[in-house]
Amino acid sequence: MSTRRQAITLYRNLLRESEKLPSYNFRMYALRKIRDTFRANRMVNDFKEIDRQMANAKQSLELIRRQVIIGHLYTTEKLVIEQTKTLRPSDD
Amino acid sequence: MSFTQVARSCGRFAAALSTVRIASAVVQTQSRMLHRIAVPAMGTQLTQKFTMRNYSARNTIEEIEHRVLKVVSAYDKDSRCRWQTQSVRSYSAKPPLSLKLINERVLLVLKLYDKIDPSKLNVNSHFINDLGLDSLDHVEVIMAMEDEFGFEIPDSDAEKLLKPADIIKYVADKEDVYD
Repeated sequence: MSTRRQAITLYRNLLRESEKLPSYNFRMYALRKIRDTFRANRMVNDFKEIDRQMANAKQSLELIRRQVIIGHLYTTEKLVIEQTKTLRPSDD
Repeated sequence: MSFTQVARSCGRFAAALSTVRIASAVVQTQSRMLHRIAVPAMGTQLTQKFTMRNYSARNTIEEIEHRVLKVVSAYDKDSRCRWQTQSVRSYSAKPPLSLKLINERVLLVLKLYDKIDPSKLNVNSHFINDLGLDSLDHVEVIMAMEDEFGFEIPDSDAEKLLKPADIIKYVADKEDVYD
């Protein structure tokens, strides 16, 4: 598998896994950080540097997976901004 | 048993008897004194108990029922908040899809994606060549489609979906929509 495909798969898995984080703040931080980091390192050509970043991403993926499980053990109520507005007949 | 042992055990027995006698005397005096102290204390306790009883007896059955129901309903609300943090699952079926509906939904998702210019968007415009997205954006577009239509698109299929028309065809194939 080429490095490019590996990176794309990793990006996808990271985003998928981050969406499962139950805490709004952690989730949004993870999504933002993943997008920004991948975009910042898009033009990296040095193989050593690429390997280092890929290892870092794999480690982060494991961390997010663990954190999802821990987060589900200690859930709190949703924040107000997370609550989707439900339309009642009286609203229109 | 030797004589000395017998004498020693006798001595022990005598000592034990004397301690018992002393202890009983102490207990007697203590209980006698306690009795004197205890009487007024008991009296106050009794009066308190009576006042309490009077107070609780003043409530009618309706009042007690009302109070208990209030507590029970408050507990229900609290426990509901604590355990139902996850959203309620709905078991209704999905609305039936048609090619036109899939087309509209795909284009709507793409229009709402902030990196795509809605004026350039066309069913046949290439994501990377025409719309100026990179491979990372493409991954996000495919993920948005997965969320929209509610099924997973594997990586091997995702990299072939380079135009909105491809996505529409793929979704129609997956959902068995032919008209």
